[in-house]
Amino acid sequence: MTSARPERSISVEEGEGCLRGQFQAMASPCEVLCEIDDHSEARRLTSIAAAEAWRIEDKFSRYLPGNIIDRINDAAGKAVAVDPETSQLIDFAESLHNLSEGRFDITSGVLRQVWRFDGSSNIPTAAAVKKVLRRVGWHRVKWNTPQLQMLPGMEIDLGGIGKEYAVDRAATLLRDESVASFLVNFGGDLAVVREPRRRKAWKVGIESANTKSRDAGKLLSLQIGALATSGDARRYLLHEQIRYSHILDPLTGWPVPDAPHSVTVAADTCTQAGMLSTLAMLKGAQAETFLDAQMVRYWCDRG
Amino acid sequence: MSNKNKLNITSALAAATCTLLGSGAAEPVQAQEELGWGFNTALLYYGEDDNRVQDLSLSVLGQRTYLDDKFLSLGLTLDTLTGASPNGALPQSVAQTFTQPSGGKTYTTPAGEFPYDDTFRDTRVAISGNWQQPLGRMSLFNVGASASKEYDYLHLGLNAKFSHDFNQRNTTVSAGLAISQDELDPVGGTPTGLTEMISASDDDGEDGEGGRRKGPAESKDIIDVVFGITQVISRNFLVQVNYSYSDSSGYLSDPYKVLTAVDGVTGDVVPVPQLPGIDGPSHLYYYEHRPDSRAKHSIYTQGKYYMDGKVLDLSYRYMTDDWEINSHTIDARLRWPTGDNRYLEPHLRFYSQTAADFYTLSLVDGDALPEYASADYRLGDFDAITAGLKYGWKTGGGNDMSVRLELYRQSGNISSTDLIGNQVGRDNYPDLNAIIFQVGYKFGK
Amino acid sequence: MRISVLLAGLSVIATLSGCSSMGVEAWERDVLAKDEMQLTTDALEAATDDHIYFSKEASSGGRGFGGGGCGCN
Repeated sequence: MTSARPERSISVEEGEGCLRGQFQAMASPCEVLCEIDDHSEARRLTSIAAAEAWRIEDKFSRYLPGNIIDRINDAAGKAVAVDPETSQLIDFAESLHNLSEGRFDITSGVLRQVWRFDGSSNIPTAAAVKKVLRRVGWHRVKWNTPQLQMLPGMEIDLGGIGKEYAVDRAATLLRDESVASFLVNFGGDLAVVREPRRRKAWKVGIESANTKSRDAGKLLSLQIGALATSGDARRYLLHEQIRYSHILDPLTGWPVPDAPHSVTVAADTCTQAGMLSTLAMLKGAQAETFLDAQMVRYWCDRG
Repeated sequence: MSNKNKLNITSALAAATCTLLGSGAAEPVQAQEELGWGFNTALLYYGEDDNRVQDLSLSVLGQRTYLDDKFLSLGLTLDTLTGASPNGALPQSVAQTFTQPSGGKTYTTPAGEFPYDDTFRDTRVAISGNWQQPLGRMSLFNVGASASKEYDYLHLGLNAKFSHDFNQRNTTVSAGLAISQDELDPVGGTPTGLTEMISASDDDGEDGEGGRRKGPAESKDIIDVVFGITQVISRNFLVQVNYSYSDSSGYLSDPYKVLTAVDGVTGDVVPVPQLPGIDGPSHLYYYEHRPDSRAKHSIYTQGKYYMDGKVLDLSYRYMTDDWEINSHTIDARLRWPTGDNRYLEPHLRFYSQTAADFYTLSLVDGDALPEYASADYRLGDFDAITAGLKYGWKTGGGNDMSVRLELYRQSGNISSTDLIGNQVGRDNYPDLNAIIFQVGYKFGK
Repeated sequence: MRISVLLAGLSVIATLSGCSSMGVEAWERDVLAKDEMQLTTDALEAATDDHIYFSKEASSGGRGFGGGGCGCN
């Protein structure tokens, strides 16, 4: 399956006391807010961020033939040697696998073959899930840097880490390229580069599923740090009145029961924020308890 | 899992991220929710033509969100009222003299003019507070109190409301209750209904003849209940329907208003004998008398429709009560964005009401007095229209500001069959023309 | 006649409450979340208008409760 390729162009427009560079990447609207006045400089810096986003998107996309992910997933049981960056991401995924007691697992993507979250009521049979589950599990992977070997039919998917990683990478590049303050926002996963000077803080809105008359979506002041959101907004199945979220438990093959509709976490880096929100979703009913114990600011929406 | 273990996730995660990103330890995040006080202030001028009522008021509403979606709002309003009000009597081809409510003095209305009592200068202070908090995930609870004081009037009230969302928050049902206990201590005492207007020197303040007594203050108790449903119809369309019931009991009359007694044939005022050395009314007038209870039912429906950046707000209210008053109100507003954070909002309101069953222009001298009667134009049969324009923008500091100018016009519907004799040629309803001008400013959170 | 109007109004409420299938998904609430789409966009302006019309007309309220009474009616 190939996804249609959106245009890779950059536009710069005036924001409130800043310049906003915009582009499409990783199936999301992306923007870089720059506290500078020079349009061409804003364009240059946005291009740097966009180039990094597109590079990571291409490198780790499931849909691009020939990239490292494709070679790994097509290996049919043979060992594949990976480059240093991929190696670090796989190391990171392994740490998360251990920290989450197995619930975060980059080999769980094949469950997609029986679970199609299109809003319909087609849930798979227990037998079908059991069959697919034989090709899921990090314990079935032989990982000795830089060699990765999996059973035939297994796949890895770095989509769960990719966007937040891209935000942090783009932020690092911008920090080195300029002394100004930036807000890097890839579709709601965002990070701040340097405390802003022209305002007290960058104002960021959290999307909220519910709209009580007074506040529909909270407004945060972010001086430094990052935000990431995990959500199930469009992806679910409705079968016999039960809503199955797209957060699948790789240990059972079934959706995590009682997962919140969305979790937003504020942390030092976008990667940490993203991982905390993902781990919270995987905890289902215990999401809030888990996040309380991490002593981070979070916003949990159970709709 | 022990607490110690849980905390290990944070530091372990930080370490893993550090390794991944290759940079040193990141700066600790600083993120706060925008909590804090927000203020909504308004300065209002209301002015009727013909030297009638003018009101200047200043209102401040402070609001604050607390953690866990709790919400407090506190309000304060100060207003000063000056100018003249129709006293219920009718224009005549002769001058008319009335006793002031405070007694001791009289005032005279020239021939051909509407009798106005211009002795009112009043200042009012009103405060209100409301606390809102969630009850579980899908319900909301509101509790509030209000109080106001003016020279002759004290109001105390409590209210509570409960609302519940369901159907994925597309439907909200709510129920509310408000109770008020008001006290009226009329200047000069409370007149006995449908007794003759006293003379100015009849100021002994004691009970008995003269029709006014300085007794304890009159009280008025009001209970209001409201039931409502709000329904999301589509992404751009929201509708609300409310049913309200209101029950008032106690002293509901206006102690400062009178009715004219007229000759049954000519329709002219009936002079009363003027005693030497005593200042008093020139003609026969009776203090009004309203029933001591009133039950009102209202149905109110409102819709908000979003079309391409513009918002149409349309509402209709039907009210009916046991005083035989029925009213229709149609209110339409269109918010029209005109640029960056600027908008124009034209406003149109139509109102019409039928008269109370005890409303009458005048009493016929010689006929038996009815149990209840009032000539207060506000209980009569009339139509009113408001047309206005509001302009809103964001100031340099990012705060919302607005100005609005509205014209309000009220005109009576008096059928000629209600008129007696010479009343036919005269103006019998004090048509109202007023300007509403308001400046609003929001700041804070 | 009054009773039938009230019944009509109550049946509107009953009909609306039967619309349990009507509405939008959580992610389609962007427009409804806007300030200008709230049922009361400016609480102060609504309270001021309610007070003016309460003192000049015989009807009051409808939307909810006002802040309180006054000696003006």
